[in-house]
Amino acid sequence: MSDSSGGPSAHADDDEEVVLVARGIATAVAPEDGITDAQIGLLGSVTAALTGIDVDYAGLEPIGPDELARALAARPDAYRHRIVHHMVLGELVLRPLPTAVSFRVAQYAEALGVRDDFVRVARRFAQGAYGLAWMDLQRNGFADHVRGAVDPSALDTGRSTPHVAPDPFEAHVDPEVADRWHGFEELDEATLGRRVWEMYDARGFEMPGTPGGAPAYLAQHDFVHVLADYGTNLPGELEVFALIARADPDPKGFAWLATLFGLFETGFIADTGFFVRDHDGGRHADAPGMGARIADAIRRGKSVCESNQRDLFEVDFYRVAPLPVSEVREMLGIPPKGDRALCAGSPGTFDLDGMSAHQREVVAQRRGGHG
Amino acid sequence: MNRTRNFTQAISFDCESPEVLIGMLREWDEQQAAMDAMGYMGTRLLADRECLDRYVMIVEFGVVDPDVSAADEAMRNNRREETKAFAARLRELVRDEPTYHHFDELYRTDF
Repeated sequence: MSDSSGGPSAHADDDEEVVLVARGIATAVAPEDGITDAQIGLLGSVTAALTGIDVDYAGLEPIGPDELARALAARPDAYRHRIVHHMVLGELVLRPLPTAVSFRVAQYAEALGVRDDFVRVARRFAQGAYGLAWMDLQRNGFADHVRGAVDPSALDTGRSTPHVAPDPFEAHVDPEVADRWHGFEELDEATLGRRVWEMYDARGFEMPGTPGGAPAYLAQHDFVHVLADYGTNLPGELEVFALIARADPDPKGFAWLATLFGLFETGFIADTGFFVRDHDGGRHADAPGMGARIADAIRRGKSVCESNQRDLFEVDFYRVAPLPVSEVREMLGIPPKGDRALCAGSPGTFDLDGMSAHQREVVAQRRGGHG
Repeated sequence: MNRTRNFTQAISFDCESPEVLIGMLREWDEQQAAMDAMGYMGTRLLADRECLDRYVMIVEFGVVDPDVSAADEAMRNNRREETKAFAARLRELVRDEPTYHHFDELYRTDF
């Protein structure tokens, strides 16, 4: 069942182990009153998307950390590490997140021999130490990630890499960056650059490098919106970052998803410096179909990881912007959306359903009030 | 005992260089963020508007292990070498010996 990227995937005779792993995850993340519907939906969808096996997380026999660890002792570290991340994902959808759950997940991680920063971050969320959690997340998640992304020696893209300000989460006015983004308008219609420009223009987003524009580093993920065909409302952001997080061969890529969940789903995190907490207090991961959509994004990310072996934030999207979207998708190994995500209504980048209410208003205004 | 109840330590003192203290607290928090989750949750440093150079440091502790209370976590924290070192630096910085008060949390406004 192991694979090169360390994620659970299944062959015909792996059903038993898939269920065993699911039992471990379910036991680890279940609150005192039992596993919740949101957890059942999300974890079941993730398992199905990654292994092709349907597991009902509601009725699984409990398994303790030591027994699970013994059963998985021969599996590679990366494989066990991804399982722990699925546990963290399963606990982060709880609000409030009980201390007993975060403590139990830590016990499973320890038994599995996995030392993971996000287990600790979740414990801080449960404790209510949000300031320390954010510092921890920045230090161990984003900060390391960003350091890797801005270190020229870690890149093969030279000067043409996106301009990165000293704080990549801080937007800066930069005429060079602005010119690049405005220049995408001149590209052919089917190109990645042109489609990203259209995404910005239709929604009234300011271009990176201009006043009010997104930080150039974070704007990298907007190319993924177009390539993966995900919307730009909060459910779409969850899909995009689920894909990006899993596409990263370094398990630290999970920081993106952990942060987005903390930000949008739990209210644990106030803001990331660019994205801002969902002030309507609404939740998205347990909305109908979202489990399947996030799970499919994780499946697609895993596929990208296997073919690309590189953090998508390190891709020089400026270089490939003049290429057709389809060609860049193929280059990065981004598979189409799965049937379950489509059945769950995963909207595309340019679908109105994939936009926030404000974005729809802007689109309507630009279309002459008929959006 | 309420195992989920937070615990607060309030430390009062007179100090002429709060900026040094703020630097110490930032450094402390960065250290704590890099360590295993423990009872320590965070600190607020408050300046007394009526009394120049008078400050109160509010240090909060919470539960991370369901079998250990926040107050016990605070006691564990007190026994750590880095806590002792911080307390020693604090004593060097303040005018007189700091005054300590200990509180169990009964209520807080929350979302």
